[in-house]
Amino acid sequence: MHEFSICRNILAAVLEEYKALEPPAERLSRVRVVVGAMHQIVPDYLAHAYDILARDTVVAGSALDLQVQPVTGRCQSCKWEGEIQPPFFQCPSCDALTIEVLKGRELYLDCLEVDCDE
Amino acid sequence: MSSREIRIYRDLMGANEKWAAENRALLQTHGLTMLNLIGSPGAGKTALLESMVESLNKSLRFAVLEGDIETTRDAERLDKLDVAVSQLLSGGSCHLEAKLVNHALVDFPLEDLDLVFVENVGNMVCPAEFDIGEHAKIAVLSVTEGEDKPLKYPLLFREARAVVLTKTDLLPYLDFDLDACLANIAQVDASLPVFQVSAKSGMGVEGFVDWVLQVREGK
Repeated sequence: MHEFSICRNILAAVLEEYKALEPPAERLSRVRVVVGAMHQIVPDYLAHAYDILARDTVVAGSALDLQVQPVTGRCQSCKWEGEIQPPFFQCPSCDALTIEVLKGRELYLDCLEVDCDE
Repeated sequence: MSSREIRIYRDLMGANEKWAAENRALLQTHGLTMLNLIGSPGAGKTALLESMVESLNKSLRFAVLEGDIETTRDAERLDKLDVAVSQLLSGGSCHLEAKLVNHALVDFPLEDLDLVFVENVGNMVCPAEFDIGEHAKIAVLSVTEGEDKPLKYPLLFREARAVVLTKTDLLPYLDFDLDACLANIAQVDASLPVFQVSAKSGMGVEGFVDWVLQVREGK
């Protein structure tokens, strides 16, 4: 249940970025967050935290779009590269247990979708 | 009304990372090593620390930051052994964040210490997500929990630099499959050293203390 902690960071970042928009936007409609599959984040809990923490802010009513980045790795023995399925960090090509994780640890605010008067 | 998409690319652990960096700088200034013990409630983290006090005292000066949701019981146990200890109450939070650790660190007489152990809140999930500026995370797993835990909580075992398998004195009474457990740990990270210890009998504790001293010396 660390989703509230993480969501607090999301909200703080979104509010700061949204307020700094030039020209200012009318409304925030969507927030896209990319999360690596290594993070043990439950999307439903995060959505719930988002609804609660966004109340009475400009973020309220916007949609949280969570994009999961699969885990990818490289085998240090045979140089195979590709998607892996945790918890099995084993090379599907040569069976070695020498997988270095390349992707899947991300957690970042990717983009904001806003409505503007034009 | 038109809609537009604005690319941001902003790291979301930034606030915690900033405090973690602050902790790292503080530790470096004082030549301190910090180790973060992570395991489920009842895994034997406090008992492991208790079992190490005597041999650690021979080589270095250390303190413990106890993370708990409630009560000062763990801190009281260590205080009885004359360990410098500070109790952090997370007040319901399932993990320690770098900022809270920083507040406790600055209250220690850092110039009189070589090593700080952080005993994180009992939990195998959330503490693995948060960098507190430590030199190494250590996964503490007891044999009463079952051999499948490394596969169920892979992030912890990927983040950890060592595993301490506790309560091994109970092995004769359990169906715990030690070989399967070691194979499961290797599936997640084959480079992890595993220390089999019994805090009760003291068996294996010295081996882990030696490893701690090696980390302390930057090996």
